[in-house]
Amino acid sequence: MYTTRRKFLATLAGGSAVISLGARVPGFLARAAAAESGGGKDTILVVVQLTGGNDGLNTVVPYNDDEYRKARPKLAIAADKVLKINDTIGLHPAARGFSDLLEAGKLAIVQGVGYPDPNRSHFESMDVWHTCERKGSPRSTGWLGRYLDASRQSADVDAPAIHVGSEKQPLALAAETVRVPSFGSPESFRLQDGDNGPLRDAIRALANGGTAPADPLLGYLQSSTTSALAASDRIAEALRDYQTPVTYPESALATRLKTVAQLIDAGLKTRIYYVELDGFDTHSQQAATHAALLKQLSGAVRAFVDDVAHHGYGDRTLLMSFSEFGRRVAENASEGTDHGAAAPMILAGSSVSAGLVGEHPSLDELDNGDIKFHTDFRQVYATLLEHWLGWSSSSVLGGEFKSIDALKA
Amino acid sequence: MPSALDTIDPAWAWQPFEPTAEQEWNRTLAAHLFRRASFGATAAQIDAAVKQSPASVVEQIVRGSADTSDFRRQCDELATTLLATGNSQQLAAWWVYVMLHTANPLLERMTLFWHGHFATSAEKVTDAASMLAQNRLLRRYALGDFRPLVQEISRDPAMLVYLDSATNRKAHPNENYARELMELFCLGEGNYSEQDVQELARCFTGWEIKSGQFRFNRFQHDSGSKSVLGKTGAFEEGESIDWILTQPQTALFIVGKLYRQFICDEPTPPPQLLEPLASELREHEWQIGPVVERILGSQLFFSARALGRKVRSPVDMAVGLLRSLDGTTDTHLLAADLEQNGQGLFYPPNVKGWDGGRAWINSSTILGRANMTARLVGNDKTRFGDGTLDEYIARLGTGGPEQAVDLLSNLLLAVPLPPPSRESLIGICRKNANQSRGVAEAVHALATLPEFQLA
Repeated sequence: MYTTRRKFLATLAGGSAVISLGARVPGFLARAAAAESGGGKDTILVVVQLTGGNDGLNTVVPYNDDEYRKARPKLAIAADKVLKINDTIGLHPAARGFSDLLEAGKLAIVQGVGYPDPNRSHFESMDVWHTCERKGSPRSTGWLGRYLDASRQSADVDAPAIHVGSEKQPLALAAETVRVPSFGSPESFRLQDGDNGPLRDAIRALANGGTAPADPLLGYLQSSTTSALAASDRIAEALRDYQTPVTYPESALATRLKTVAQLIDAGLKTRIYYVELDGFDTHSQQAATHAALLKQLSGAVRAFVDDVAHHGYGDRTLLMSFSEFGRRVAENASEGTDHGAAAPMILAGSSVSAGLVGEHPSLDELDNGDIKFHTDFRQVYATLLEHWLGWSSSSVLGGEFKSIDALKA
Repeated sequence: MPSALDTIDPAWAWQPFEPTAEQEWNRTLAAHLFRRASFGATAAQIDAAVKQSPASVVEQIVRGSADTSDFRRQCDELATTLLATGNSQQLAAWWVYVMLHTANPLLERMTLFWHGHFATSAEKVTDAASMLAQNRLLRRYALGDFRPLVQEISRDPAMLVYLDSATNRKAHPNENYARELMELFCLGEGNYSEQDVQELARCFTGWEIKSGQFRFNRFQHDSGSKSVLGKTGAFEEGESIDWILTQPQTALFIVGKLYRQFICDEPTPPPQLLEPLASELREHEWQIGPVVERILGSQLFFSARALGRKVRSPVDMAVGLLRSLDGTTDTHLLAADLEQNGQGLFYPPNVKGWDGGRAWINSSTILGRANMTARLVGNDKTRFGDGTLDEYIARLGTGGPEQAVDLLSNLLLAVPLPPPSRESLIGICRKNANQSRGVAEAVHALATLPEFQLA
């Protein structure tokens, strides 16, 4: 049914972004569309990928649910420990940064997010989240990559997206024509091109190449080299002299998000930033590891949101975090949890509609021991594309997905 | 291009390579063979190879040098000494040393292949002795029988820790190892059900570690009946592994990875192209060596569909550069550089290992790879034939800068150097000739070329 529907939609789509936008949404979206056509839209989306499968059930906790305690005799978070959101739901005690943001009206928790017939392989499920395609369909581009390809203006000088991290580049950013720079630390992102002038010039001339090679693989390597050199120069320039009164925690994620804040402050025209935090595959001895990860995550996100607000970019910056799946409701005998299905997603920034979005999924009705989704992740993507980036979502996502109420109108 | 593979006749593809007037056995093809099967070769090795038949060179590479026992013993002693530091980063430097100096490079390449296949990271397995023991296990079976390799890796302490098997108990099985055994080690995603994962996890309950060794704990083992991949039974003592290995998909899955290792990164080959190799693997009782030999000696391997069709891994790039120019270096620095560029030995990124292909390349690694090469040739500790690079190239009797650049292209590049780039490199060589760093600077510049990324 999924495929049929997509094929059907494909016959309708293909029109310009403005047509599909105009057909559906009024108000500020029309503004967004207008701004887009004028090239004036400047909102920024920061994606935080939680790699390994975050245990959503111990992140956003139904602390009064008997089923929860029964399924997790060792791992359940005690009711008097959770950071309460309401009478039934609370945050993991280590997620203090999130509860602070919630109080400040800058955090939305979208509950019960997943997709039909969930896959429990890390790599397959991550590919689904990255590409919005199931195995067997061509998956050379990611959802953000398709957005980048479509929205790219030839006059843009800055990279339209930047991946800050030394992992391999996420498939979500893979595009047909756009090359997204990736770097771990700004210090290492420089070409050592020799101290002497002539060698430097020769290397630059060589690396920037002449005509594009006809071979696609060589062409890919050539354009990657050229864009790497350009991005490296621009970023070195941008990162000079950054000052912030916000104290970031000492963690890998905080360092990366701080780099993102610096790049935003430097006035780069980049609209998408992507960072990752790995280690969520907690099959064994989960409690301490998961607490440390949530502390790192929420602390870094909180500092980042504060920092961009301080520099006056709070209204333009939105952060989204996701993981490839949640974890099984019942704990295993290693005091850990195995691969599961639906889980919550976090949105942070001053433009979110703060609080819980959607119901916490029931623990009475499970799918083979796993939480059922009620919100498709592509609905969240559609919301961000349409209502935040100001772009038609259907061609990017390969179908029409209903937006959710997670952003301020 | 992507669908072009469908048109390859599988019978032709795996026939022994027959040189023709269009595709003659020459320095280019010999360099290609050494680049893929070894870690490159010196000018002298290539000269010697073109005087023999390709099949005979392939055979020697696969059989390996018989006279490596002394070297092997020295390496083992060195590794054991390094363990005193208890640090797997030391082990990475040790392995780079082995790769640089071994007379049997295919064995190291295949050990690295299995390290990426049965990926286990010292990030989680903090006991360096376990990591070394696993490395030795992988080397022991690198070109041998896949079946005991899977059995033993399933009982390997480093693996038991990495995929949490060590805490898999019957009360509530931990599914981690069972899933990855089918998804990543034997069958491939989509060739098993969630039910199979849960049932297979029961088979491995009670497979624990005691005093650093595998131990079967019958009190934590679920000895009840299980149903795995359509068969029901108790599946005791690794019978479930034997059963997975009898699945037709397993041989296809393994030869598919060998294909990608030796022929090309992309596109994915159709099953009919892999089937002759899968049959070969089954007929040879799961011996990996004969399949590798068949691939390396095949028509397809020496065709345009394989030549220059792979993106170099960081190890290929650095170890290949050094071995092609009789080089030695500070292997601690090099191991750290490999890690910077995404290939930390003993530290694969996750249980899927290194994706390879285009995934090696991003803006950071593009600059990082060029910087790695620049550091290698610029470092005083790097010696080429016991001298500087310029001295080494001069000693090969290359004559002028033109000949030097052409020799470097043959040794270091998998595809032809475009004429304008060749001119620039000759210019760099010439301009700096009297500073005695002309060739070194030319290699530094060469490393920024897109052509240098290909193997």
